Amino acid sequence: MTEKTRSGFANPWLVLVLEVICVLVYELLQKRGASETAHLSQVWSWTGITALASPLTWLAMGLMIVSLLSWLYVLRYIPLSIAFPLSRVVDILVPLSCWMILGENISTRRWCGIALVVIGLILTAKPAAQLKEKL
Amino acid sequence: MSWQVFVLIPIALIAFVNGQLFLKRGMESSAVKGFRDKKVLTFLACGISSMTINFLITLGLLAHLDLSFVYPFQGLSVIIISLAAAVILREKLNLRLTLGALLISAGIVLVSLS
Repeated sequence: MTEKTRSGFANPWLVLVLEVICVLVYELLQKRGASETAHLSQVWSWTGITALASPLTWLAMGLMIVSLLSWLYVLRYIPLSIAFPLSRVVDILVPLSCWMILGENISTRRWCGIALVVIGLILTAKPAAQLKEKL
Repeated sequence: MSWQVFVLIPIALIAFVNGQLFLKRGMESSAVKGFRDKKVLTFLACGISSMTINFLITLGLLAHLDLSFVYPFQGLSVIIISLAAAVILREKLNLRLTLGALLISAGIVLVSLS
């Protein structure tokens, strides 16, 4: 950790947000890319090869690379015990966006799980905010 | 359900946690030593190998099991990684952070169960 603060795109917290957005978008794109090409071949669609016919799948792969690189950058500056729990916000963003965008259902059990993750994130965010001042 | 499940799920989890710890170590040292350093490169190589093993085993598990069975175990990785970071990487872990990681883990398990 250096004395000068990392501002703009070099700010590790901003890069963490970018990583989460990339993961969220590539998971949704993967789903769209795989479903819209599943009709191409009954057998081969199970191997995922047919999904390569969709440009959405390639866009997803590009985002996957961006998310990996941004995760490595995050690891450089933020403790793992803070960065990793925060990065898992994506596990509730995926069902929430499936609910909002794709119209999928969310069961009561799933809502309870989402609530637990939100409380956990709030608890983790406070130490993260204190650390932020030090970075 | 067969014996492979009981062996492969823990191996996949260990590989994932291990991979994250190696990547963290490598990236942290790279901030000081740069990327030409032999130790940094070794850590990163170990991290990437571990993540690859996790990736392949997870694919293998998914070929035979439902995602709703496999994914909850990934949720456990949050609390395991927090504890491992405290013990192995000497990161400061207070009650608040531990509780946060525990709740996030439990929440992901619930979300992915259904």
